[in-house]
Amino acid sequence: MRNVGVTVSVFILLFAAFIFYQSFDFEYYGEFGPGPGFFPRWLGGILMVLSLLNIWQSIKGEIVWFSDVMPKGKELKTVLKICGSIILFIVVVPYTGFMIAGTLILFILFYPEYKWYRAIGMSVLTTLVVFVVFKVILHIPLPVNAFGI
Amino acid sequence: MDLLLNGFAIAFTWQNLLYCLMGVSVGMLVGVLPGLGPSAGTAMLIPLTFGMEPISAIVMLSGIYYGAMYGGTITSVLIKTPGEAASVITMLDGHPMAQNGRAGVALGIAGIGSFIGGTLSIIGLAIVGPPLAKMALKFGPPEFFALMALGMTMVVGLMGKSLLKGVIAVLFGLTIAMIGTDPVTGMIRFTFNQTQLLDGVDFVVLTMGLFGLSEILLSAEEKLTNEKPPKVKGVLPRRDEWFPSLKAIFRGTWLGFFAGLIPGTNSVIPTMISYTMEKKFAKDPSRFGKGAIEGVAGPETANNSYCGGALIPLFTLGIPSSPTIAVLLGAFVLHGLTPGPTLFQNNPNFVWAVIASMFIGNFMLLIMNVPMAGFWAKITMIPFKLLFPIIIIIAVVGTYSINNSLFDVGAMLLFGLIGYFFKKAEIPLAPIALTFVLAETMENALLQSLTIYKGSFLGLFTRPISGTMLVICILVVIFSLWAGTKNKKIAADVEM
Repeated sequence: MRNVGVTVSVFILLFAAFIFYQSFDFEYYGEFGPGPGFFPRWLGGILMVLSLLNIWQSIKGEIVWFSDVMPKGKELKTVLKICGSIILFIVVVPYTGFMIAGTLILFILFYPEYKWYRAIGMSVLTTLVVFVVFKVILHIPLPVNAFGI
Repeated sequence: MDLLLNGFAIAFTWQNLLYCLMGVSVGMLVGVLPGLGPSAGTAMLIPLTFGMEPISAIVMLSGIYYGAMYGGTITSVLIKTPGEAASVITMLDGHPMAQNGRAGVALGIAGIGSFIGGTLSIIGLAIVGPPLAKMALKFGPPEFFALMALGMTMVVGLMGKSLLKGVIAVLFGLTIAMIGTDPVTGMIRFTFNQTQLLDGVDFVVLTMGLFGLSEILLSAEEKLTNEKPPKVKGVLPRRDEWFPSLKAIFRGTWLGFFAGLIPGTNSVIPTMISYTMEKKFAKDPSRFGKGAIEGVAGPETANNSYCGGALIPLFTLGIPSSPTIAVLLGAFVLHGLTPGPTLFQNNPNFVWAVIASMFIGNFMLLIMNVPMAGFWAKITMIPFKLLFPIIIIIAVVGTYSINNSLFDVGAMLLFGLIGYFFKKAEIPLAPIALTFVLAETMENALLQSLTIYKGSFLGLFTRPISGTMLVICILVVIFSLWAGTKNKKIAADVEM
């Protein structure tokens, strides 16, 4: 599982297999012509074959290891922080509302690149600007709490 | 002509002028800032347009599209970091010009060339569009299916490094689009039992993740250094440079425009051809790479002229030729418009107002670029650590606002990760977005064609237009396989 090409192809293979398998629940060819199972079955089937080919090529051809292409140290931390903060937003926003959740994830992303007091200031300010632009000016719905913020 | 004047009348209302200005400014910004391409920029602003009139929305979003072509030049010339892929070639001679103290001239000629190329190609769009749309009205499902297949084959056949990976990307995009309700019978398919997926994966969610978030993740890995850009002064070329530059500009215009007409090309192809062509035409090719002005003028014109040309397949056939246009197509649909042959007939006000706004937008960009190049150069100094949290919060909020759904935010994260790892595995992302938007039309066209021909795929070859296009598809695949074994491919796997 340290081979990038193989891992990604296995993921595609599983997805293609799911579509291929499920397509049997739908009509392949009806009274008037091809049905809803027709296109997905071909797509899933061909995609399965191609991802198998790609697995073979990733092993036989030029091998790309995760350790060669993945970032390390500080850069890896930034990548993880970005993903983590989005998950955190999804989890906490139903309870806290947009202002608090937004400030929280921005703080995680700004700190420690900026000193903590500056990071707090920038997070609050950015969240506020986004809130005003989206909610107040453009009337676009945001995930807010009982107080409307 | 009346229609175009009417279009100008609509485009000249103060709201539309403002939206046009906003669009081209954001476009410039997206072009200048590395780590955010025009497709991500356009996708991120789609939620902002929900409350707008369709005309204003598309005026603004298309402004981002052609504005980014101008913006990308600035960083290429000044700090040797192209803001977007279409300006990579500009580095070759633009940056040496800057080192010789002629940054202003490089940006000036790029701005002038972009303006000429951009404007002429929009005139081309206004002239070629209506008759082509009329012709396309005669197209039946087999022709549309063949056309889409041709576009997809061109994307993977001509540009990606590996044919196999390109085809995987194409099929992956199509397969993702199968999730949701079947367009023909209304049956619900492949939803993983999630009610949020009944309408399928949202297009904005997909592009925002695939292009926006994955780009941010990839840029976060790079140690970006902020090089101080050189001073910009004196934007006009020397008197003896005008004539060769103008010749390069007109050659670039033609090249870009026709490249735009071919489905499946991208803005990088004409810039590369233009550069090679200028080098061939030059009396002294050894100047190239050391600051030859034609090497900046030609390619920069070609990528802007490509923009106008590439809108023709969208407006007349409803087929996008690049990921950014695919995002625009998504925006059309969101605002209740159907791009395709009927667009010129059913929504003439809309089409001509958008075309008129592009003339105005190009003029705005000329002013923004030639006298104000120094200002934009300063923007390149904004550090990434300040920028990326802001982009992420806008992406999160934008994704949420499409359906008021946190599920979509999670889906965006998933597509961001898919984009990130696909990039590592060298699977191109552009075909995924392109085929995803086309999947529904393509499935419809294929099923209808097969119904006409009683299930025989060979029937598609019996009609002259669809037959020819499918034969070209096969030839492209064969050529691509041959070129792959001989290593003769243009390795221009560009996404944004």
